[in-house]
Amino acid sequence: MDKKTTQLYSFHKSQEAKFIDFGDWSMPFSYEGTLKEHDIVRHSSGFFDVSHMGRLEIQYSELEKISKLICSEIIDIENNKALYSIFINENGYALDDVIFWKFEDKLILIPNASNLEKIKNHLENYNVNFIDRSPDTVLIAVQGPETINLLRDNFDIPEKFCTSSTENYLYARTGYTGEDGLEIMTDNENGTSLINFLIDKGSKPCGLGSRDTLRLEASLPLYGFELSENITPVEASLSWTITNKSDYLGSDVLNEQLSSKNHKILKKFTIDSRKIARTGTVGIAGDTSGIVTSGNFSPVLNKSIGFIMFENKPSLNLIEFDIRGNLIEGEIVNKRFLS
Amino acid sequence: MSDIKYLETHEWYLLKEEVITVGISDFAQNELGDIVYVTLPEVGQTFEKGAAVVEVEATKTVADAYAPMDCTITEVNSQLETEPETINNDPCGDGWMFKAKVNTVDDSGMSYQEYETFVS
Repeated sequence: MDKKTTQLYSFHKSQEAKFIDFGDWSMPFSYEGTLKEHDIVRHSSGFFDVSHMGRLEIQYSELEKISKLICSEIIDIENNKALYSIFINENGYALDDVIFWKFEDKLILIPNASNLEKIKNHLENYNVNFIDRSPDTVLIAVQGPETINLLRDNFDIPEKFCTSSTENYLYARTGYTGEDGLEIMTDNENGTSLINFLIDKGSKPCGLGSRDTLRLEASLPLYGFELSENITPVEASLSWTITNKSDYLGSDVLNEQLSSKNHKILKKFTIDSRKIARTGTVGIAGDTSGIVTSGNFSPVLNKSIGFIMFENKPSLNLIEFDIRGNLIEGEIVNKRFLS
Repeated sequence: MSDIKYLETHEWYLLKEEVITVGISDFAQNELGDIVYVTLPEVGQTFEKGAAVVEVEATKTVADAYAPMDCTITEVNSQLETEPETINNDPCGDGWMFKAKVNTVDDSGMSYQEYETFVS
């Protein structure tokens, strides 16, 4: 089957992007190289075409029903906020981690690309009405410390984790890189002019390769790796997202895990080397063992970092990894990778 | 550079007076993306043709470079230990990985033109 491409495919081709298959999609992996793009986003401004992700428009009449399906408080937060939350199934597992943008008149729900159909089916099963705006819009994430200054003349800049809109754009001061920036949604016919505007302002195109190294360095989970239908938010060390005080699907399981503390647990690690403990690598810490969910090189720390899921809370901070037959030591870190 | 030959596993080698110099092709470094670490062999280690000699860590994936023929390592490019990106920048020049004395000559690699056809 031919892979799907975004509306901006011809732009990516014109920039001689390298492509990678990502689920059903063929997406830009890099333009000038992953490490260079990583550096651009950490020090100036880069933009990502993330139009493969979903965009569902939802009316406020549906909010009570949505509140029964996610682990975070959504009703009481102001109507100009963005919210990171997780759809939970009846067994407490994560169906998807998503962003909600609240506007005065509606909400936009942004599921992961690979989970869009699943979330649409889930919403339909619980009689939540929505309009799928994904096919007729694009989504561009503009990220990096210079981004806000570049966009200030043309966009009213909301507070961090807040939303705003103009006639042509819906946007929020959110992202997936650990840097400041805006994520901007607009109709397909405005996509190319938005990209050209960003390039004129000096922002550079970046691909999914650097998006992955950036999110990992920013200690952010990726669905399918740190979260899945076999992993609860409590197990993924995302208990801070559990702010929904009412009953919701799977809440009994999460509450039980929170009180018993008897569950597998995701930890972050560093290795004092550039040797990477990749997904699937086994690590032993004291009397418990774990499996690496994501691992890569951190350009800022100049060493290898990652997430590892342990069977139980480890008694030691020292991890011994078996990296393709070699025993390599790593260390559990409880703070974020970047301060 | 016309004496350089290529393998289907994307290494290049230059055979000269029973010594081979080995690296990975421009196609291979481009496929791997940014290389951040290499595990080089020890001088004196002996490898059979097809055995994994160098482990190449890139942000995208990890890959091995294999011995083009039976050989014993005589020199490694230690610059790669601190500047592995040299392989990305100059794969068939400064990005060479190791030199080795050939124990059994097998000069069956592809010419540049044949390799270009193979990867296209």
